[in-house]
Amino acid sequence: MDLTHSPVMPKPVGRSSFRRDLPANLFLVSVAFFTFIPFYFMIITSLKTTSQMRHFFWTPALPFYFENYATAFSLLQRYFVNTALIAAISVPGILLFSSMAAFVFARYSFPGRTILFWAIISLLMVPTVLTLVPAFIWIKQLRLLNTYWALIFPYIAGGQVFAIYLLKSFFATIPNELFDSAEVDGANTFQQYWSIALPLVKPMLSVIAILNTLSIWNDYIWPLVTLQDNNMRTITIGLRYFQGQYHTNYGPLFAGYILASIPLLVLFLIAMRPFVAGLTSGALKM
Amino acid sequence: MSTTEVIRPQQLTAGTRKRGVDYYIRKLGPIYLFLIPTFAFLLVFTYYPIFSAFFHSFFRWDGVHGQFVGFQNFRNLFTVDMQFRIAVPNVLKLTAFRVTVALTIPLLAAEIIFGLKNSRMAYFWRVALIIPMVVPWIVLILVWLFIYDPQMGIINTLLKGVGLDKWTRLWLGDMRLALWCIAFYGFPWISGLNLLIYLAGLDAISPELFDAAAIDGASRIRRIRHIDIPMIGGQLKLIFIMTIITQLQNFQDVMIFTNGGPGLSTFVPGLVLYHSAFYYSKMGYASAIGVFLFVIILVITMFNMRFMQSGVEYSPEG
Repeated sequence: MDLTHSPVMPKPVGRSSFRRDLPANLFLVSVAFFTFIPFYFMIITSLKTTSQMRHFFWTPALPFYFENYATAFSLLQRYFVNTALIAAISVPGILLFSSMAAFVFARYSFPGRTILFWAIISLLMVPTVLTLVPAFIWIKQLRLLNTYWALIFPYIAGGQVFAIYLLKSFFATIPNELFDSAEVDGANTFQQYWSIALPLVKPMLSVIAILNTLSIWNDYIWPLVTLQDNNMRTITIGLRYFQGQYHTNYGPLFAGYILASIPLLVLFLIAMRPFVAGLTSGALKM
Repeated sequence: MSTTEVIRPQQLTAGTRKRGVDYYIRKLGPIYLFLIPTFAFLLVFTYYPIFSAFFHSFFRWDGVHGQFVGFQNFRNLFTVDMQFRIAVPNVLKLTAFRVTVALTIPLLAAEIIFGLKNSRMAYFWRVALIIPMVVPWIVLILVWLFIYDPQMGIINTLLKGVGLDKWTRLWLGDMRLALWCIAFYGFPWISGLNLLIYLAGLDAISPELFDAAAIDGASRIRRIRHIDIPMIGGQLKLIFIMTIITQLQNFQDVMIFTNGGPGLSTFVPGLVLYHSAFYYSKMGYASAIGVFLFVIILVITMFNMRFMQSGVEYSPEG
């Protein structure tokens, strides 16, 4: 028997693979149906007036009522700007500081290395509920309530932890010879970090950037308690208040939900390849 | 910088013994400099609040004035707090449900996508089921609020439409159903991140193992039980522990769906913490709940690391 030829993974083409995959595809179609039905409703309802919604509940209704989007946008505009600003400062901060720390942890041994590294990694086990209340009081004492910094500083502090954990193992895979020869050529620590190490972990940096943007965009409790001024609110809090005001006026409401989803969708489509590649590189397991 | 002296990382500590102070500054200076931003942020915005949480859990504290009360806060938690007594079984039910779901349904989907013969279809499904991951959490929750809405919601409208009027419910407004409605949201619970993690695990299994199983005539089910699941043990463990940690402290879902109601029926410990702190200014008591949750999560994490074997290590050399 020819054992060099793989008996399980032939590459059938055309109809036979279609027929073999049919039950699997049917299963996936039904899963996708239930996963996407809320979004279907979101889209069709966002284009209806209240009376259209009453008469055509399940199907799209013509003419499309695009004013809902204008209404939603004018109300949410401010929240978009706030969230984007906060993410635009926090995420580069996380990337810069975490990669600097991860770089020295991976590359050098120095007095205190082990203790300092564990001081960071053990924070992975600290749940956010532990620090919610004391951090709130602390931010209040620092007079940072109702400022962007109330979010940016803690986001940078918190986002670093997992990033350092991920990046350290990636930096460790870079062969030392690369740095040694750079050192011979006169590159200092910063140059080695910036021009050799960083470019090699770009996929991982984009994973970290996306994960942190997602969690900043999705954060609810912390901005809820630290930003009470309406002008400072982030998109999550803004949507919640919007929902409170518009309650049963689903058209503008759902238009707002869609607008709030678009930035992340765009980001994901741009960065999907490195993101999926980074996540599937086998880093995530215990 | 001198070009003659190339220091390998391993030699750095040992080599420094014989050298002078300026060597330390020149070689170790940049290293510590690189760590300063990280630790400055952690010190101010992470370590201090953690310390403060433990410290103030022994105080009656309104955020300004504190009065030492020993273990009183912890004692009250288990003796006089009605909300907390309801919250603990609630969070256990929700966590058990979510863990069961996270360990089965995304894995099933991953297995099915992995088993597709047509690689273009496999890529399509992979992307299609990951994309919902980027829909903001708040949007998903608010849409489910609409799904459950008694007047305009999808479920009741559907039931009325097919003549099952008597099956309509208040859903989130129903004492007995509210908690299960909260558990059920997000159906069919394919989390994009979990799906990706499982798929990554399956992709990493050596094809030789599948070949061997096929030669031995193992069925698909047997192969999944005896090869796939042991080989992705690391991923299962990660998702198991991450789901537990997330769910035990989660209260934002409940806060938006019902804020603990109707009555006290859907309270979870995190929500008790939130109400204590931000409705009643009982900051010390809230800190104690935080400490309690932290200890529970720590014990579970430790137990998990210590006693649950990670996946079988496989190397081609045997």
